[in-house]
Amino acid sequence: MSLKARSRRNAIHAMLFYSGGCNGCDIEVANALLSPRYDLEQYKVLFTWNPREADVLIVSGIIAWQLLEPLKKIYSMIPNPKAVVAIGSCPINGNVYKNLVGDIGVNEDIFAPLDNIIPVDVKVPGCPPRPEDILEGVVKGVPKLVEAP
Amino acid sequence: MASQNPVKQKEVVEIEKELSFGPIHPALLEPYRIRLFVNDEYVEDCELTVNVAYRGIEKLFEGLPIERALVIAEKVCGICSNVHAFNAVRVIEGGLNIEVPTRASYIRVLVHEIQRMTSHLLFFGHAFEVLGHETFAMRSFLLRETFMDLMAYIGGNRVMASVPIIGGIRPRADLTEPLKKTILSRLDEFEDKYTDYVNRIMADPMVMSRLTGVGLLSKDEAIKWYATGPTGRASGWDFDLRRDMKEYKPFDFKVIVLNEGDNKARVVARALEIFESIKIMRQVVKNLPEGPVVNRQWIAGKMDYTIAYIETYRGELMHSYGLDEHGLIRNYKIRTPTITNLAAMEQACIGDHVTDAMVTIASCDPCLTCCTRAEVVEKGRSRVMTDQEVVRNYGWRH
Repeated sequence: MSLKARSRRNAIHAMLFYSGGCNGCDIEVANALLSPRYDLEQYKVLFTWNPREADVLIVSGIIAWQLLEPLKKIYSMIPNPKAVVAIGSCPINGNVYKNLVGDIGVNEDIFAPLDNIIPVDVKVPGCPPRPEDILEGVVKGVPKLVEAP
Repeated sequence: MASQNPVKQKEVVEIEKELSFGPIHPALLEPYRIRLFVNDEYVEDCELTVNVAYRGIEKLFEGLPIERALVIAEKVCGICSNVHAFNAVRVIEGGLNIEVPTRASYIRVLVHEIQRMTSHLLFFGHAFEVLGHETFAMRSFLLRETFMDLMAYIGGNRVMASVPIIGGIRPRADLTEPLKKTILSRLDEFEDKYTDYVNRIMADPMVMSRLTGVGLLSKDEAIKWYATGPTGRASGWDFDLRRDMKEYKPFDFKVIVLNEGDNKARVVARALEIFESIKIMRQVVKNLPEGPVVNRQWIAGKMDYTIAYIETYRGELMHSYGLDEHGLIRNYKIRTPTITNLAAMEQACIGDHVTDAMVTIASCDPCLTCCTRAEVVEKGRSRVMTDQEVVRNYGWRH
């Protein structure tokens, strides 16, 4: 392992971006990252709120129209190499809020598949996913950061 | 309504500095915006903007068959998911006179109280995180796992357990004998640890000095700004819907009312409520009657606009809808407790040092994800209603 990879592996920071949704995934992510039972810091992934410090962007929730521009801005502020993890069904397909099968048509207030906005590296489906799955998802994003040139 | 409670125009005060936080800010778990108007480091006025995560969820119910709608009702909020499903079924059960078996009613109360515990313990986590005492926050998260586990054992999911269905509960969520034993033993274990935790908080002079005497909300102000739930009860407002609910008739519990109205009272009110919830849960498990858990003898037909109120963890929740002749939902309306508590939060911040404002807002237990729904279209332009407007127009029943 090169010196660069080794030093990168010791300082991986994850940032949470909550973009609508119901708060369930949000709290499960906080549970997985911070709480003593599912401690993400054991894999040397630390929690941050500063996009300039972050390496992994965790996105939970549908993307409401008010938060579309902030999301793009925060993504652009994260330095390369970066990984994006989509937590829960909402950023993957819009879940119930997108109203894919309803009678009144697709909900146009939300910009749900996150792929359309920024590139996504790991998807963790579930409503909400278990904290173990969230841990696995975030850890899956780590090799991309470490092995980047 | 407006003539009875006129909202007085405030006198014009010169403001030295405006501090605005959010929507994405380290101190805020949810996206909302706080504007603090500060004079000499003391808060002169406060404004919360909550329109940042609009989903249009009430519209999604329109024209859906009732069973499908209940799946969406649970996803209004991820902290108090069960209570939305619970209250949505109470509307149709009241409107069409559907009988609920006693055993189902008991288990609904059990899950409701389990989620009250998770919500209150999350409140401690959030409040102490904001206060800056990370150890208490982490201990609270660890204690909370007991009840997340119980939710998963009963409903199959840690957050969205979807236990209540129309006419009873899902048969999968029925309590078996081993599960009853697990619940009782977990409760005993929890009570010991939790008593230690609360005693430790009350004995901590640093935490108590940050909380005592800060964020005062008097009883008159609490009533004027329609504070509900523990936020109102910590200001001496003696009201709890659980006293009147028929689901809670068989159980014996106390309603915690404190008179101080500061941040400490709001924390202590929730801490003491947890002991009452433990009492209710023990009674449910010990006195659980035998019998069926679901009544399938009902047909969705025409139903008038019906309203159901329930006491949630933050205050009062209202669900209301009508059904047309085909049994499809019309005019779904939800009023979550945070809508009425918002004005109380703004009011409680005023007059304190600016460093205490975040703690005061956190001590009122905000859950802003579920109250972002009201959007008004006026002359072709849409705008989000202010909280004062919501309180004035829809805030209180008569």
